[in-house]
Amino acid sequence: MTNSGVRRGATALTLVGLVGMVALLWMSFFWVSTEVNQGIVQRIFYVHVPAAWTCFLAIGISALCSGVYLWLRDDRLDRAAMCAAEGGLVFATIVITTGPLWGKIAWGTYWTWEPRLTLTLLLWFIFVGYFMVRNATEDPEKGKRFAAVVAIVGALDIPFIHLSVIWFRSLHPQPVVAKPDGPTLPGDMLVTLLFGLLVFTVLFFGLFLFRYALEDVRLRAELRARRTA
Amino acid sequence: MTAPAPAEAPTAGASTGAAVLEARGLVREYGPVLAVDGIDLSLDAGEFLTVFGPNGAGKSSLLGMLAGAMRPTRGEVLVRGTPMSWSDGEWRSRVGIVSHRGFLYGRLTAAENLRFYGRLFGVDDLDHRVTEGLARVRLSERANFQARQLSHGMRQRLSLARALLHDPDVVLLDEPYTGLDPSAAGVLRGVLTELRDGRRTVVMVTHHLKEGLELATRVAIQVAGRFAWEGSTGGIDRGDFERHYHAVVEGGS
Amino acid sequence: MIRYLDQIRAIVWKDLLLEIRSRERIAAMGAFAVLAGILFNFSIDTAIVRPEDVAAGLLWMTLVFGGLLGVGRTFHIEEQDNALLGILTSPVPKDAVFLAKVAANFVLLYAISLLVLGVFALFFRVSLDANVGWVILVLALGSLGFVALATLFAAMSAGTSMGETLLPILVFPLLVPMVVFGAGATGRLLGGRPFSEVDGNVRMLGAFAFAAVWIGAVLFRYVVED
Repeated sequence: MTNSGVRRGATALTLVGLVGMVALLWMSFFWVSTEVNQGIVQRIFYVHVPAAWTCFLAIGISALCSGVYLWLRDDRLDRAAMCAAEGGLVFATIVITTGPLWGKIAWGTYWTWEPRLTLTLLLWFIFVGYFMVRNATEDPEKGKRFAAVVAIVGALDIPFIHLSVIWFRSLHPQPVVAKPDGPTLPGDMLVTLLFGLLVFTVLFFGLFLFRYALEDVRLRAELRARRTA
Repeated sequence: MTAPAPAEAPTAGASTGAAVLEARGLVREYGPVLAVDGIDLSLDAGEFLTVFGPNGAGKSSLLGMLAGAMRPTRGEVLVRGTPMSWSDGEWRSRVGIVSHRGFLYGRLTAAENLRFYGRLFGVDDLDHRVTEGLARVRLSERANFQARQLSHGMRQRLSLARALLHDPDVVLLDEPYTGLDPSAAGVLRGVLTELRDGRRTVVMVTHHLKEGLELATRVAIQVAGRFAWEGSTGGIDRGDFERHYHAVVEGGS
Repeated sequence: MIRYLDQIRAIVWKDLLLEIRSRERIAAMGAFAVLAGILFNFSIDTAIVRPEDVAAGLLWMTLVFGGLLGVGRTFHIEEQDNALLGILTSPVPKDAVFLAKVAANFVLLYAISLLVLGVFALFFRVSLDANVGWVILVLALGSLGFVALATLFAAMSAGTSMGETLLPILVFPLLVPMVVFGAGATGRLLGGRPFSEVDGNVRMLGAFAFAAVWIGAVLFRYVVED
């Protein structure tokens, strides 16, 4: 795909995503009914859960692109992996900030070792490691390979981390209340949640493509600067 | 003899049509730095190429790619006409590498160092080869000294024995004369002379003009990642070459 | 296959021989383990917690930090004379190099983990009567998983400008499953509970170790490539 093609796609997806985001916010503030046990604060759920979903999508894409990059050594794959990881880092940051906000009101404490929150925190550190290792080598090619390895190992470790934090949690029962479970969710809540997942996914891909196009332009500018130098 | 590939003993040389070692359009980048910028070469058995060049000309990167230790950014290395895959174990077992860093372990004895590499290369009749290798570089009486107790020159000689233990038919030397005392340089010269037996291919990169010219059949001058000049050593006068070298290096940089 | 195993044996033999002669890492890790035990003792207010209750967690933390200390240096012995390049330019497959390094590091770390167990039993009056065999198995699986991940990332951080400071940042998030399952199982076993209670943990620990060794063997070549 050409750069302008990527940018057109990015613009389209981002616009759809932003419109969807406005609709999602409207739905979660005004349309969906208030959850009985947790009250108004539960509405953050429609941002929190889709953001969490998006960072797992991001590490998946990043690991997949990284794997194929190591095989084919096409720089575009590395760039895609990097852009996905960057998106993942942003959305993971959203999750670990909205989580405690919710937790403070719902559970009375900013931090609990709720499995999914814990997992996202660890994922956030994996993304941080990805970028640290990428920028810590003299030869950029080496940094790309190292980062690819971090993404792959990180993605494969996630099921293990997930199981372990759930198991850990089961040992230490918390004084906690209702956990929002999918199937028991009333209809309008489920609709809002699913819509939120869709919006965040579209928005993620829009931002991902923008970031990709930007990186493409940046590299070209760098190359031109090097040639004229 | 070594274990790998005794069947098609590489004595054929140019007659098969395919060169022993060939590079096509080799490029190696380190980010914005272009270490090797499009090098072509073709070497047959019996040839000894010396690549001269100032520091930072990309000589070691060239050697690394020929050794299969470094992946070219672009271009390819062919071994007897077949592109070398980056992880080609078969090729590696036929290459010996001498570097100014010795690849030795300070706390292993001279003999243990050689035995270790011999096992990595799958050398048969290892005890015999180790004894022979130590004798070749005149270190027999130091066989049971740990490498860190040896002088720098002795370690360099040991490193030479290590590189030749598996009887490679391609020998790559990276600045082998750097920091050598006269006796070690003498041993190195003797061993290199032995290597000119017509069935081996040797590539040496160095900035020592005298030693580099001595045994070479071909020479190249590498400046800023390219071969700025290439030729055979037939009838070359050292004085002329030195003047020529400085002219090329200064003109190219 | 025979040659592959002989190449692995050669590297393991070389690593262990160097360690026996220099005793650098084993001494550092051993001293660290004992000193950590002493410090832990003074950091616990025995009026509030019983040392044997937290011993399993402290044991695993000692293993993780001490292990990082030793395994993090596994590529230093190769760097002094650029010897790693000597191995990488030999015909030994890269996965064999990795497996050999893991095996040598495992011997080292497992020895230390048994030492730590002994020290903690002594310092914290942890009873080893009930399940010592199972505890030793749990420590073996944990050490293996740890060593596999740490070796892969030690090779990586050795290739960066940040060096060893990068290693914990990369490895700790990935080690959470090992610590959770390992410390959980060890705690219960030391508390005299039957093995059937921690059976699932031990399986997970084994799966984790196996996966770590496998993925490390696959990816190691991309880490050491030049």
